[in-house]
Amino acid sequence: MDMNRWLDGQRLVVCVGSGGVGKTTTAASIGVWAAARGRKVMVLTIDPAKRLANSLGLDAIGGEGARIDLSPVAPAEGGSLHAMMLDSRGTFDAIIGRVAPTEELRDRVLSNTVYRYMADSFASSQDYMATEKLYDLVSSGQYDLVVLDTPPVKNALDFLESPGRVVSFFDERVYGWFVDTYDQESVKGGFFGRKLMASTSAMVWKLLSYVLGEEFLGELASFFKDFQALYEGFRERHDAVLSMLRAPGTAFVSVCAPNEASIEIARYFQGELSARALPSHGVIVNQVHRCEGEVHDAAALLGDTLDGVAPGVDPSTRAAILARLGMAHRRLAKLAQGEQELTGAVRSVLTPEQFYREVPRLEDEVHELGSLYEVGKHLFEGP
Amino acid sequence: MSLAQLLDSRLLMVTGKGGTGKTTFASAMGILGAAKGKRVVVCEVDTQRPALPAIFETEVHFDPVEVHPGLSVCNITWNEALHAYLRRSLPMKRLVRMVLENQLIARLLDITPGSREVVILSRVGNLLEEYDLVVVDMPASGHAFSLLDILSTLLTLFRSGPVRQRALELQELIHDLRTRLVFLAIPEEMVINETIETWTRMEGAELIGGSPYIFLNRATLPSLTEEERALIGRLSKVKLDPLRREFVQAGVWEDRLEQATEGAQARLAEAFHMDPVLVPPAGGGGNPRAVVGRVALHLGRMVGVARRELPWT
Repeated sequence: MDMNRWLDGQRLVVCVGSGGVGKTTTAASIGVWAAARGRKVMVLTIDPAKRLANSLGLDAIGGEGARIDLSPVAPAEGGSLHAMMLDSRGTFDAIIGRVAPTEELRDRVLSNTVYRYMADSFASSQDYMATEKLYDLVSSGQYDLVVLDTPPVKNALDFLESPGRVVSFFDERVYGWFVDTYDQESVKGGFFGRKLMASTSAMVWKLLSYVLGEEFLGELASFFKDFQALYEGFRERHDAVLSMLRAPGTAFVSVCAPNEASIEIARYFQGELSARALPSHGVIVNQVHRCEGEVHDAAALLGDTLDGVAPGVDPSTRAAILARLGMAHRRLAKLAQGEQELTGAVRSVLTPEQFYREVPRLEDEVHELGSLYEVGKHLFEGP
Repeated sequence: MSLAQLLDSRLLMVTGKGGTGKTTFASAMGILGAAKGKRVVVCEVDTQRPALPAIFETEVHFDPVEVHPGLSVCNITWNEALHAYLRRSLPMKRLVRMVLENQLIARLLDITPGSREVVILSRVGNLLEEYDLVVVDMPASGHAFSLLDILSTLLTLFRSGPVRQRALELQELIHDLRTRLVFLAIPEEMVINETIETWTRMEGAELIGGSPYIFLNRATLPSLTEEERALIGRLSKVKLDPLRREFVQAGVWEDRLEQATEGAQARLAEAFHMDPVLVPPAGGGGNPRAVVGRVALHLGRMVGVARRELPWT
C-alpha cells in the first residue's frame, strides 16, 4: 500500500488506542509528515495537551492553538502545521442552556436530582463538548487535514459517540410509556385513571415503585417530561457528527504497543469500529523491539571494543559486564520474537485494504520536530 | 501490615490498569488462601473475555464451581446477578419473572443510575455469607472507582425503599476493616500515573475503610553495579556495526528496566504509604495455569506457604 497516497486522500485521521502506546507521538508525526508534504494540517489533542506540546517542542498549547515552526523539516510549498487542545472545560449545564427552549425549562432540568447524577457521571460532558468542537473545526474547511489524538481510554469510541449516548438514553418508547404511566398513576384516585391503565403496566409500575421507591420514580418522570423538548437538538447534532465520522476522507487508525493488553485492545477496537460502521484504515504498532542477531556471545564480539573504551578494566568486571550483555541480548531477542507473535494476532484480523506499520522503539524520547519526522519515515516510507 | 495478614481479610478487591496481571494475581491469592485452610472463592465481574476458565481449566459460571478442596471460582454475570438480587428483594417468584421478561423494565434498569453496580456488589455480599475469603478480580481501575463510588450516589438518590436498604448494607461491608483494596501496577510510567491517580481519588472520597495494598508486578530487580552502568554508557557512544550495536542496546534496555522499577517503587511508596511488594515477571511463558502456579509459589514464600502445600505446582 502506498502510504503517502493514502495520507493525501484523508481529511480527518482519528488515532485510537490505549494509554502509553505513543498515540500522541503518532498523531504528531502524521501531522508533521502531511505538513511537510505541503498540506495545511491541524493536530488536535484532548487532554493532557502537555504531551503533544512537548512532542512538538513547545511549552504549552492552549485552546487558541499554535502554529508550529516547520523550518527544520523544510516543508513543501503551502505546508503548515497547527496544534490545538480541544478545550472541553464547558459543562453539560451549558449545553442544556443552549438547547432548552425556555429559561424556566432549563432551570427545572438543572435542578432535577436525576439530571444532577447524569451530568456528573453519565453524559460525560467533556466528551460531548470536545466532539462538538471537533465537528466545528472539521466542517469549517480551514484545514486540509485534521489529526485527532483521542483520550487514552478504552472507550475512545464512546467519546466520539457521546451525542449518541444522550440520544439513546432518551429512547422515546421508554420515556413515553414511563411518563404516561406516571401521569395515570398519579391521578389513580379518579375513575378514568384506573380504567385506562392496562393491567400489565399497572403491575410493572407497582413493582418499580416497590424496588426503586416512589420519590425516585417521580423525579425520573418529571425529568423525562422536561427533557422531551431538548431531545431534538441532541439528535440533530448526533446525526451530523456521525456522518462526519463516516464520510469519505475520514480514517480511524488504531495505535498500539507490542504487549498483550495493548494488542488485545487494538483487536477490540477493530471489532468496535466495524460494528459501528466506522472506517478503520489500519494499525500502527509503536515501540517494537528489534533484535536480529542470533548469536549471544558478547565476549567474542565486544571484548575488543570494551578494551578500547575501558583499557585496564578489572578482568573480573570485564568478564561480568560481557556476560551481562550476552544475557541481556538473549533476553532482548526473546522479547522481540515474542512481540512478533503478539502482533501476529493483529495482523491476522486485518483485511488487504488495511495497512499495518511498525515503528521501532527509538533510543531517545521523541520530543522535537526532527524526531517526529523520523517516526514519519517509518510510517510512510520504507518496507 | 504483612502479606500474611492480607490473607486474613474477608474481602479482597483486586484492581489495576488493564494488563497488569489482576486475574493471575487474584487466582494466586485464592490458591494461597485455600492452602491456609480457608474456604475461598475467586470471582470475575461480568467480563466479556473471562480469563478464569483458562487458568483453572474448567467452565466458570455464576454459581461457584469448586476447583480444588476449599477453592471455588465464579463469574458474576449481570443477568444472573440481577436475578439473584430480585429474588432477594421481591416477595414472589412470579414478580421476578415479570421484571426479567419486561423490555421496558430492562431498558429502565439500564439507565437507572447504579443499578448495575449495586446488583454486582450485592452478589459479592451474598458470597461473603458462604465463604471465608472472597477475592474479586475487579474491573480496571477507573471502573473500580465508580463501582465503589456508586453507593454514595445511590444513597442520595434513593431516600427510601429496598435499594437504599441494600446500599446501606453494602456500604458497611466496604468500610469494614477486613475489606481490602489491592492495587496491581507494572513499572511503566502511564500505569504508575493512573494507579496513583485512582488511589488518590479513592482516598480523598474515603471510599474504603482499610488501607490499600500495592504490588508492583513484572519488576526488574536492580542488579547492575554503578561501574557496569558506566561501562554500558561508554560503549553506547562508540560507533559499531549493527550486530555489535544490538548487544549494547540490550544492555541499555536492561538498565532502563531496572531504573523504571526503582522509580515506580519510590513513587508508589509515597502515594500508598507502604513499600510496594515487588513481584518479578513470572517468565517462561507457558499456559495461564502454569503462570498462576509460579506467582502463587513466589507469593507463597512470603506468606509461609511451601511448595508441597500448593496443589498447583
